[in-house]
Amino acid sequence: MNFKIDTYNMDSGVPVITLDGEVDVYTAPQLKQQMVSLLESGTTHMVIDLTNVEYFDSTALGVLIGGLKRIRERDGNLSLICPSPRIRRVFEITGLDKIFDIYDNAEEARSGIAALR
Amino acid sequence: MEANGEPAVVELRIPCKPEYVGVARLALLGVASRMRFSYDQVEDVRLAVGEACTTSVEWATKNRRDDSEITVRSSITDDKLTVDIIDDAGEREESPGEQNKESDPQNLGALLITLLVDEVTVTPRNGGTHVKMVKYAGQ
Repeated sequence: MNFKIDTYNMDSGVPVITLDGEVDVYTAPQLKQQMVSLLESGTTHMVIDLTNVEYFDSTALGVLIGGLKRIRERDGNLSLICPSPRIRRVFEITGLDKIFDIYDNAEEARSGIAALR
Repeated sequence: MEANGEPAVVELRIPCKPEYVGVARLALLGVASRMRFSYDQVEDVRLAVGEACTTSVEWATKNRRDDSEITVRSSITDDKLTVDIIDDAGEREESPGEQNKESDPQNLGALLITLLVDEVTVTPRNGGTHVKMVKYAGQ
């Protein structure tokens, strides 16, 4: 299965998880594990970069919603970078585009998060 | 693809395990791409079938039936695609307190299927579930 996950920090220190390929019932547990380990290290802001995601299913949406709930409990936020109309559509038809801050690129996400903090 | 009468049938059997759901999606991408579907409609079919298989896999895990199989049968006519997803993943019985959790992927999955295809029926069968979905072409 075509899937890769990486994490880097923005200049501001905000961690960005980048996903590449298909995020589904098989691969979403890796995303969950990465998000949990960032949350356990005390992260209050987190970005998930879906730029190179080719497929995103309900299991992956469930992982993001779970992460968003936990991070909001500590007054933080979880933002998404999602320029692909195909992937964004999954958020739009489920109405989840209204609960996540979704940006087109890393630069917009950086400015958006800076304004929040 | 048959012009009229009997549908053309493509049938696939996969192990009821997470790593094989992508195989079913890929097969349906091929089937739907041959029909008069728009790009978005092909994606709808791929996602809906992926969600249905994922639900089967999740129940198989819960019911300790992950050695079972899923049959994905596509019936193709000029104007519609019917996909039957038949599993032996055991009964879909929620334990109390597990129902209606908003972030439960199974609820999201069911919502997505309803939104992505034109008709969907879910029927319990002996030791499993039969999901039938229909998507009309040229709409």
